[in-house]
Amino acid sequence: MNDVSDIRAMLIESATRLFADHVDAKLLAAAKRDGWSPGLWNIAEEAQLPLISIAEEAGGAGGSLSDLAAVLRIAGRYAAPIPLAETAIAGWMLARSGLQIAGGPLAFGPVHGEIITARKHGAQWRLSGSMRRVPWARIAQRLVVLAAGPGGDIVACVDPMQCKITPGRNLADEPRDDVVLDNVVVSASLAAPAASGVNHAALRLRGALARALSMAGALERALELAVRYATERSQFGRKIGQFQAIQQELARFAGEVAAAVAAALSAAGALERGEDATLAVASAKIRTAQAAQEGALIAHQVHGAIGVTDEYALHHSTLRLWAWREEFGNEAAWAIELGRALAAGGADRLWPVLTRD
Amino acid sequence: MFQQVDFSALELPASARSLQQEVREFLRAEIAAQAFKPHLGHTEFDAGFTRKVAARGWIGMTWPKRYGGRERSYLERFVVTEEMLAAAAPCAAHWFGDRQTGPSLLRYGNEQQKQHFLPAIARGECYFALGMSEPNSGSDLASVKTRAERVPNGWRVTGQKVWTSWAHKAHAFFVLCRTAPDAGNRHEGLSQLIVELNAPGVTIRPIRFMNGQHHFNEVFLDNVFVPDDKVVGDIGQGWQQITSELALERSGPERYMTTFPLFTELLRRLGGTPDARAAEMVGKLAARLWSLRRMSLAIAMTLDPGPDSGDGVVKAAVDLATEAALVKDMGTFYEREIIDAARLLADVEPTPDAAGTFERYLAETIVCAPVATIRGGTTQVLRNIIARKLLGPLK
Repeated sequence: MNDVSDIRAMLIESATRLFADHVDAKLLAAAKRDGWSPGLWNIAEEAQLPLISIAEEAGGAGGSLSDLAAVLRIAGRYAAPIPLAETAIAGWMLARSGLQIAGGPLAFGPVHGEIITARKHGAQWRLSGSMRRVPWARIAQRLVVLAAGPGGDIVACVDPMQCKITPGRNLADEPRDDVVLDNVVVSASLAAPAASGVNHAALRLRGALARALSMAGALERALELAVRYATERSQFGRKIGQFQAIQQELARFAGEVAAAVAAALSAAGALERGEDATLAVASAKIRTAQAAQEGALIAHQVHGAIGVTDEYALHHSTLRLWAWREEFGNEAAWAIELGRALAAGGADRLWPVLTRD
Repeated sequence: MFQQVDFSALELPASARSLQQEVREFLRAEIAAQAFKPHLGHTEFDAGFTRKVAARGWIGMTWPKRYGGRERSYLERFVVTEEMLAAAAPCAAHWFGDRQTGPSLLRYGNEQQKQHFLPAIARGECYFALGMSEPNSGSDLASVKTRAERVPNGWRVTGQKVWTSWAHKAHAFFVLCRTAPDAGNRHEGLSQLIVELNAPGVTIRPIRFMNGQHHFNEVFLDNVFVPDDKVVGDIGQGWQQITSELALERSGPERYMTTFPLFTELLRRLGGTPDARAAEMVGKLAARLWSLRRMSLAIAMTLDPGPDSGDGVVKAAVDLATEAALVKDMGTFYEREIIDAARLLADVEPTPDAAGTFERYLAETIVCAPVATIRGGTTQVLRNIIARKLLGPLK
């Protein structure tokens, strides 16, 4: 083991302990009602989890993208109802563009490619436009917005109090809010030209990677629950896990989970190494969404009726899987994009591209 | 699963990258010279090609130099294997020696066996087959009935092996047989012997594949003498020996890439601007391959004993057998997805003797499609193994 993997192993251990200790049925029920868990956020922020992968000089917590990936996977496993991925991506937008990061949860947008216009008004910017289904907008301290200015895109740190926010939610009751900016004033010190690499495609890419990592974790949890249930539940005088029909389904499920974990973490590594990560992230989002499709339903099938109740924990994982697989592009959208790119490259480039790493 | 693997840090080292280019150039030149005709389904037996690969140092390449190896890493071997598969190169002659019998001899063989066989395999001159399955022992391999009886200076072997690929062209095969009667624990009393295929008492008969091709055989052993020095490892330890290297055997690129050249030809056929339906299918095939390869790479990298091990033998302490079973299970199904995508997008009839590569590949892969999920551990057996690991003992 080298130093980097030692540090990551410690991070994985401490993040796992943090979420295992604090995310329980009561917290998740409250978050379902309130949209999130401020208490869990405070604990995570104290442990410096939200701004991992952002340089300390920029107000981040340091560490690498792979460290962040490890944390997002664990947060997904525990269904942590806090905007970790969104804060990390918003923080990245700010840090890349030379803006300071304040504390607290952040959201970013647009996430559906809408155009927000930015006009200069003396020393201030005025932003207008609307953004659909921005994750966690209503609970964010700041909205980090990619807007189109007269001289190119800018990144602006927006006070959500100045926006018209219509609450929305996804299947798992996570906030997905419509945000309207109507001449929202942003002081010059809170906006900057978007650094190269900070653009709509990059937001979608990083969002997709974050969801892939979260899905990998949620799948791991759903598998754990299904396996445990199969070892505890008896029917026909035997543990249901003793039936080969159940065993074969669980084995298939385990394969899907392993593929999801491998793809999601690998994609984080590819992005960290600065390669053209489109193939890796597209593959990760496609593969995790496919695993979610197969895995969530196997998890429910193994559980029988108890799995579909509000009382039993499985839905915290499966509802998120069904929500997250659509966010930042579902498997069809990414597959079409990837397929077109591969076709444009030509048949003889297929193998070299797939093995570029 | 894969708890010990850090996927984000996993990448090919520079040595493997340059080797990748080297193998690609070699294969490009071979194809340009029409030195072989690429086929899918059952890889072709081409001793000439095998000797060229050997001359490059790509057979037995992870073995110690003193046995003809090159002491290269498992990842480098991985790269060679996947390039051969991507080009549909004819590797049957060296396949089992390089992949199974060589590593087994390295681990369990005596010094004389190592010196006799390993350099010859690495030179591309000695070809091995595997004598595992029998008419009544398929998935349940421990039930083999072929038996060896003790005689002065050796053993007399009698029995029947089936599905023995390329036995009619190989020099010898590993025979799993019973050297002691089944006395309760069926995994005991099994041994591995090296049987020369031209030895008196060996009869080889073809079992034709459904398209008429001959690669399978049944091999009859009638009182065949095997000297003591051709016993592999210890008498009675055959089961442990054949199961010890399954993680690599089950997780290699050959478990998900045998139809890959059809994917390449499909893309050629679709052209540069496919419609959304075709693009979606291509994108999904690519994503699944990329993910499988990451898992397969992870296993090869984790089991790599490293350059200082001296013996070229897999890290025994790492148990990735379940992960390998997952890769084989998913990989063999993935290979079928390529066939189906090609079939559904192209609307052509699979034609065995077609002039066009695409139609021919389609025909070759369709008839061989049932094989991959049967050989080397059926889907159902693999899933039982995985489930056992997941669930533990249930009462």
